Amino acid sequence: MRLERRLDQPRLLLVAVPVGSLAAAFVLMAFVLLATGHNPLATYRRMLDSAFVADGGLTSTFVFCTPLAFTGLAAAAAFRMQLYNIGGEGQFYLGAIAAVGVTLYLGDLGVESTPLHVVAMSAAGAAAGAAWAAIPAVLRAFAKTNEIITTLMLNYAAGLVLTYLIIDSKSYWRDLESFEGQTFPLGKSIPEAASWPGADLGLLGGVLLPLGFGGALALAGLMWFVYRQTRFGFELQVIGDSQRTARFAGMRLRRKILAVLCISGAIAGLGGASFEGDFAHQIDPTGLQSSFFGYTGIVVAALARYNPLAVMPVAFLLGGLQNAGFTLQGADFPSGLVGVMQGLILFSALGGEVLVRYRLRLGRAVARAGAPSEVAP
Amino acid sequence: MRGITKRFPGVLANDRVDFEAAVGEVHALLGENGAGKTTLSNILTGLYRPDEGQIELYGEPVRFHSPRDALDAGICMVHQHFRLVAPFTVAENVLLGDHRAEGRKLVLRPRAIERRVAELGERYGLDVDPRARIWQLSVGEQQRVEILKALYREARILVLDEPTAVLTPQEAAKLFETLRAMAAEGRTVVFISHKLHEVLAVSSRVTVLRGGRTVATLATADATPRSLAALMVGREVAEARRVERGGPPGDVALALEGVSVAGDRGGLAVRDVSLAVRAGEIVGVAGVAGNGQRELAEAVYGIRDLVAGVVRVEGKALRAGDPRSAIAAGVAHVPEDRLGTGLAPGLSIAANVALKRYRAAPVSSGPLLRLRRMRELAEALVRRYDVKAPGVDTPVRNLSGGNLQKLVLGREFDGEPRVLVAAQPTRGLDVGAIETVHGYLRAAAASGVAVLLLSEDLDEILTLADRVVVMYEGALVGEVDAGAASAEEIGLLMAGGRGR
Amino acid sequence: MTGQLLASGVNDGFVVLVLASAVLYGTPLLFAALGELLAERSGVLNLGVEGMMLVGAVTGFWAVQRLAGAGVVSLAAALAVAAVAGALMALIHAFLAITLRANQIVSGLALTIFAGAAGLSSYLGNDLGLSGAPARHAFTPLDLFGLGGLPVLGPVLFAQSVLVYLSWACVLAVGLYLSRTRPGLNVRAVGEAPAAADAMGIGVTGYRYVHTIAGGALAGVGGACFSLQITPQWVDGLTGGAGWIAVALVIFAFWRAELCLVGAYLFGAFSALPLLLQARGWLTSVPSEVFTSLPYVMTIVVLVTVSSGAAKRRLGAPAALGTPYVREER
Repeated sequence: MRLERRLDQPRLLLVAVPVGSLAAAFVLMAFVLLATGHNPLATYRRMLDSAFVADGGLTSTFVFCTPLAFTGLAAAAAFRMQLYNIGGEGQFYLGAIAAVGVTLYLGDLGVESTPLHVVAMSAAGAAAGAAWAAIPAVLRAFAKTNEIITTLMLNYAAGLVLTYLIIDSKSYWRDLESFEGQTFPLGKSIPEAASWPGADLGLLGGVLLPLGFGGALALAGLMWFVYRQTRFGFELQVIGDSQRTARFAGMRLRRKILAVLCISGAIAGLGGASFEGDFAHQIDPTGLQSSFFGYTGIVVAALARYNPLAVMPVAFLLGGLQNAGFTLQGADFPSGLVGVMQGLILFSALGGEVLVRYRLRLGRAVARAGAPSEVAP
Repeated sequence: MRGITKRFPGVLANDRVDFEAAVGEVHALLGENGAGKTTLSNILTGLYRPDEGQIELYGEPVRFHSPRDALDAGICMVHQHFRLVAPFTVAENVLLGDHRAEGRKLVLRPRAIERRVAELGERYGLDVDPRARIWQLSVGEQQRVEILKALYREARILVLDEPTAVLTPQEAAKLFETLRAMAAEGRTVVFISHKLHEVLAVSSRVTVLRGGRTVATLATADATPRSLAALMVGREVAEARRVERGGPPGDVALALEGVSVAGDRGGLAVRDVSLAVRAGEIVGVAGVAGNGQRELAEAVYGIRDLVAGVVRVEGKALRAGDPRSAIAAGVAHVPEDRLGTGLAPGLSIAANVALKRYRAAPVSSGPLLRLRRMRELAEALVRRYDVKAPGVDTPVRNLSGGNLQKLVLGREFDGEPRVLVAAQPTRGLDVGAIETVHGYLRAAAASGVAVLLLSEDLDEILTLADRVVVMYEGALVGEVDAGAASAEEIGLLMAGGRGR
Repeated sequence: MTGQLLASGVNDGFVVLVLASAVLYGTPLLFAALGELLAERSGVLNLGVEGMMLVGAVTGFWAVQRLAGAGVVSLAAALAVAAVAGALMALIHAFLAITLRANQIVSGLALTIFAGAAGLSSYLGNDLGLSGAPARHAFTPLDLFGLGGLPVLGPVLFAQSVLVYLSWACVLAVGLYLSRTRPGLNVRAVGEAPAAADAMGIGVTGYRYVHTIAGGALAGVGGACFSLQITPQWVDGLTGGAGWIAVALVIFAFWRAELCLVGAYLFGAFSALPLLLQARGWLTSVPSEVFTSLPYVMTIVVLVTVSSGAAKRRLGAPAALGTPYVREER
């Protein structure tokens, strides 16, 4: 087998590869399921049903896909620049903590305007995510410290902050008054006015489109516009392609590294705020830590080839997968299935990327002059 | 080698090439850049597999599947870009990959190898410390290590790809002696070059390649520079001559005062360099590769920090280490590494043309880009500088070397610079493209730009420059008037000898 | 007088305890870091260590629970199973990164997601019904040469489990292999200058595959340290980020085997400290999360100190780390 660099990248492949990757992942997963004695077809049918068809399936798919859209956009923003921010997870937690803190405080002040709560939560979430990301950003820009490891370590630290706030202390975030809260550590619920409104799509017996999803959609559009149409976006494109060239053109690399990592953190933090405002309404340390929204966001971004517009449909699909995994968890639907599936999708996407960049030639056969034949895998 | 054909995506690098070298001769493989010499030698050494054709060795047909097969058959190659492991010692490099009886032992015995390397070096006059690490060595010494590797493996056929590019004329002459001595012992030396006088000086026979095909094989004794040049280029070429440009140079446009620059490996790469270039003047910086020229160019343009000194453009000091200050002052730079530094390979021609002017009108207005203007600008530039490309949306990665250089030069000239720093502007280009680039540089000087030309090709400097300064180990060791200087004189300076 | 003596005795005991647990908790890090070291020296960056460790942990645990045989035999088999499982995981990364030239960072992440706490390891643990029960056999301290009773040195050096002695052997083997043997020289060349190695007839692809896979096997064994000695049972995500710390350790150790040992025990101590303090009831006024976060925070601190120096000189990072080698391209 030989690989040859492509001189042009056929547009068709840019769509065909992600779709093919998904299909390939489902086929590979079928082997895993068969090997462990499950019926793949039945499993897939139940997944599809619970994610998209069943009553309330779509609504709860949105619950999963909204945070994924944010963490996916966060990862895409950074990865595009070859800044590997794996800290979406921790930035998401911090965003959630800050948003809930602010809204609880506003509630205590007696503020009852929902728009005010929404704005305050978003701002606090974004700021906290950006601040958490600023640590690796500064280290990367000024000390050239590998951001992969620092962002990752901070995820564990952020997880500990969650545990501390709700389980190991009597913090402002913890519910110490209600009966349940006194018997079992729980997060305080945010005021009624602070829960984010949604739009009923009026489909299939009422699908609720959360405000956060709309926000993510607008954000994706904005990111696309910034990349394509602005000087800042142009600089990011050049830096993402070649840092040496960016420096040659007189671009300020450090500032851009700082900016992009903080923006990435802010988007993830915003995701945390939306998660609390739209769905969770209280800090739940175990729930947050077992959802892996941050890590899955990386899968979303990679499958979308770091294109913000593509992040949205991909987040919807993977949100459905995660929803199905969550709903179906049980004896004949092993808990790690979703992670395995996501890993396989990523593997296939990475393998598929090869098809975009290279022509695959099988065998040592001597190709005659003329158009080289293309061989599908 | 018979009927060798090799294709790369979009390129037919070798088209039914025939090549034959005899035992005990130095056989030159002559051709322009892009004629397919390197591809052919990579096939001979097993690095590439030919699409068609076959190789015979001492009458026996052979098939090489990997470099190892070729090495086993006694073929060694000294690549243009050395294949050495920088943090290893000389002895370790020599030893690397040796898998004959001695080499199969599991445990390393560095002492024995060091002795053997020292012995070989003495016998062939290839002086180098076997315990030194490669990165500590000069480029000339590194080449000796490459040749020692071949001798250590008792190579019967030695292929050298453009070996003199990194040597002073004197060092080159010494290399030729070593090569002739090796041939006299019954080895075969294949000498790849595009420089006529070297081919005439060292080889007994010449094979000329052009456009991926064999044009002729002839005895060197029967060849003249003129006939070889005609074979190589495919038309009669006038020898590149100096064109004296009239008019006195203007005021000092670029001034370096006591500039010192740190190298990548610590220590100073440029030491206390002071130099002035007047408007309309071309000053050539000659020197063997790796004596600080690249660092000097980068420092002037601001992509490398200064340790000491100051760079002034038209009297105003530039902010050290800040290319934006240099760009604003009108400094243009054609970097040595065109694709990796001068261009963003994955982005379109349009984006690359806008690379240095995206901050201002007409490419942008406020924070927004004006994509249509960007395209128009690129289309105009592509037309004016005759860049061959399917369209301005093509990623520049897909352009050929000559077109890349035209694009970079075009962009840099279009900024209407006061000072142009050109590093190795013709490296890897074919004769036609070289002529074009030389034309651009002359035109720039004629329009009043101060040109600092850094080149390892002494002939190029002698044809273009008004004045020549020589760099050795980071310092300027002499200055000569280009019209009156001889290559030998400059060569001596390049080797570190003081001028008269 | 007596009271003072007693107090100092307690303190001595605590120091010994910290040292002994540094070794205990450092051992999985050491195995994993040595494995990553091998892969990185050949030029392959594998960020899937956490995933490979977890799969090693779960498969090793499965082997001990389900394979019949005496304790020693079943533990040996378990290590072998863990190594093979880790190697198989590494093979996925090797194929993507070496043959398909995929982005090694993303591929390694994919491996961790695939195999990690919410992936294959959890799937297997769940599907094979492994959680809940303690290991049937576990690695326990041996009294080596009867020296375990020596003060301080005894518990730290001579009363450790086979896994610890095995890890020391691995440090020695990897160190000597890289510095003193011919294949070791070749690996270093492949990681530093693949084009040079290729031109000298060294198979770059082969070397990279072998060392990436060997690295996976060591990571698998490292994971088994958790499920067969430290915990010893199966819990989802029981490595708690040890794989990532191992990746950082390799940088901290400047890509040298002997320094991996130092780093692993340092981080072992950080991991053990919170438990030890809690057991003694010391410093209870400080939230336990502060201590639990120590290994993570220290990893960042150490990385920063190392990398600000590394910015000037590369400190032994293989020059071709993370970049695929392609021969036939122009």
